[in-house]
Amino acid sequence: MKSKVLPGILAFAVAALFMVSSAEAKRRPAKDKIVIGQAIALSGPLAGGVAIAGGPIYELWVEEVNKNGGIYVKEYGKKLPVVLKRYDDKSDIGTMTNLLEKLILNDKVDFVFPPWGTAWLYAAAQIANKYHYILIGGPGGALKLKELKLPYFFQVLNFSETQAPGLAGIFKEVGVKSVAVIYRGDLHGVEYGDAMVPYFKKKGIEVKMKKSYPPGIKDLSPLLKEAKSLGVDAFCAASYPDGGMLLTGQSIELGINFNAFFITVTPFSPNLYRDTFGVDVVEGVMGGGAWNAKSSPGAKELVDKYVSRFGVEPDYWGALYYWSSLQHFQQAIEKAGTLDQKKIRDVMATSTFQTALGPFWYDKNRYFVNHPGEIGQWQKGVFEVIDPGEKRTAPPLYPKPPWPKKKK
Amino acid sequence: MIVRVLDIGIAGLLLGGIYALIAVGLTLQYGVARVLNIAHGEFIMIGAFITWSLYIIFGINPLLSLAICGPAIFTIGFLLYRTLFRRLRISSASPAAFEGSSMLACFGLLFIIQNLAILIWGADIKGYSYLAFPIRFWGQTFAANRLITLGFALAIGLIFYFFLTWSRLGKAIRAAAQDAAAAELMGINIDQVLALCFGFGALMAGLGGTLLSMSYKIQPTMGLEYTVIALIVIVLGGLGSIPGSFIGGLLLGLVGSIVTYIQPGLSLVAYYLLFMLLLLAKPTGILGK
Repeated sequence: MKSKVLPGILAFAVAALFMVSSAEAKRRPAKDKIVIGQAIALSGPLAGGVAIAGGPIYELWVEEVNKNGGIYVKEYGKKLPVVLKRYDDKSDIGTMTNLLEKLILNDKVDFVFPPWGTAWLYAAAQIANKYHYILIGGPGGALKLKELKLPYFFQVLNFSETQAPGLAGIFKEVGVKSVAVIYRGDLHGVEYGDAMVPYFKKKGIEVKMKKSYPPGIKDLSPLLKEAKSLGVDAFCAASYPDGGMLLTGQSIELGINFNAFFITVTPFSPNLYRDTFGVDVVEGVMGGGAWNAKSSPGAKELVDKYVSRFGVEPDYWGALYYWSSLQHFQQAIEKAGTLDQKKIRDVMATSTFQTALGPFWYDKNRYFVNHPGEIGQWQKGVFEVIDPGEKRTAPPLYPKPPWPKKKK
Repeated sequence: MIVRVLDIGIAGLLLGGIYALIAVGLTLQYGVARVLNIAHGEFIMIGAFITWSLYIIFGINPLLSLAICGPAIFTIGFLLYRTLFRRLRISSASPAAFEGSSMLACFGLLFIIQNLAILIWGADIKGYSYLAFPIRFWGQTFAANRLITLGFALAIGLIFYFFLTWSRLGKAIRAAAQDAAAAELMGINIDQVLALCFGFGALMAGLGGTLLSMSYKIQPTMGLEYTVIALIVIVLGGLGSIPGSFIGGLLLGLVGSIVTYIQPGLSLVAYYLLFMLLLLAKPTGILGK
């Protein structure tokens, strides 16, 4: 009897000791860093997009924060350095959702950063919200996401809601009479395709053609030729980099010109778009965006920092948006003085902070509204903001000059 | 109307020519050497990136790169067979076991080559402009670089066809395609022939990559979609039939072009639909026995 009781007591004592010590650890957590998890496409079809738009901004921000010793969190009484923990979702939504849950549940990261792409963001926002993790949107945005009203989700990038009316306004101003619209058959394309049409109609611009194409298509020349034969003034495409590059390349090869040529995603990239085709070739091409070094002093600073770190210019759609949202986030953490998601969320939702693009705040839906610009246009190698109003950095160039004739 | 039909037809052939070339490559590897090369598209990607690097860094004409890429990638393919696949073939208990194990090895190759390419060139999209101007005939415009691509694809296909029909080595390859064991008994050095076949398959992929890079933007992960297309084409054309793959490739390009004209959203669906219909109607493929 005795021989059985003794080990029992001993085991209980050990267990109790362990519980007490772990409770002790919980009460006073030794925190020496903030870990931020991100499941994002490092390989697969989207990896190219991540590399040219957005991906490097998160790395740059982490480096910048750590250069200054980290983020000051009052709760711990010190500055905590930030560690970015990235997993590769292989451009697959299902993989991304698994990895995001793993980051939250297994790795127990302090915060999460967004994946890349509208459809990916749509899935990630709901998961982060389920676990009450703040998710600050990066590359991507959709009206459908707004309808979900997720309290922990903050939309940073502008999307069809403000860009479609912006584009229609510019078209009206320069005198576009008719347009052709083509769009990629996914959440990004369908949303923009559908959003543009009513705004054009409202401005009295006739939509003569509206067609979708599947991701991965290898020949868009029939669509270009059809639009040309309909004699439209403007050609608008809601596409991702693969389609955007193919479309531009084919219209140059075939010598098909429109008075206005707009592509949602791709022209904003100085490295991929402007430098692949050449400054004189892309003259007059319009794209979603937009900002440039003239937008604000902070914008100029970001361009300089980015160039000295990566050797190329940042993208002129989202880079400044994401950068400023992270500056807002850091100030919100410091104001909240804790790493508690709920408390930081409340500060973020209600506070305005100064950032690279100027004052940064979220509206009642937690959507960022103080956009530096909606539509950009390449003019002499600069992605000028051509929105009507005070954010314009240059007036629109219309009609777009034809593709230059090949010298050779 | 006739102009319209010609336009669509030629546009289809422009894409089909490339499909034909890469499908012939896969036929040599799968139909003859019995290696279901899932990494076929990676050889295309390597060809495209070598061409891009030569053009951007040294300013070498992409058409000249055909002569550089071809032999280089042929050598890689040949050595791969002599080292990796030959050992697998000898150690496999049956041809079926070899097919299984070599396919798994190819999966490994896919990841290795793709990740090496990401390390070397980075994950982002790259491209250059070459012969990007219109050429007009029959009242229609076509892109110069795509016409050149089609010309080269057809020429390479024809040269290879004559090589297979007339040369001694070509006859040995055809014999090996029909029955490897019997060919070996007839005194053909089967290891050598199969390795050459695998090398030629890689060569076709490499040349396809060079031609592709002239009109498409490239990235290290581009390979798989071409592998899938090549797989569809070789089944369409009849497994092991080289002229069949060539015709199948052109046909797939045509179908894609016609459907894109009618409803672009369905262009990729059409490939698979054609594939399924053919499997139901004639499971052996167009020229299969």
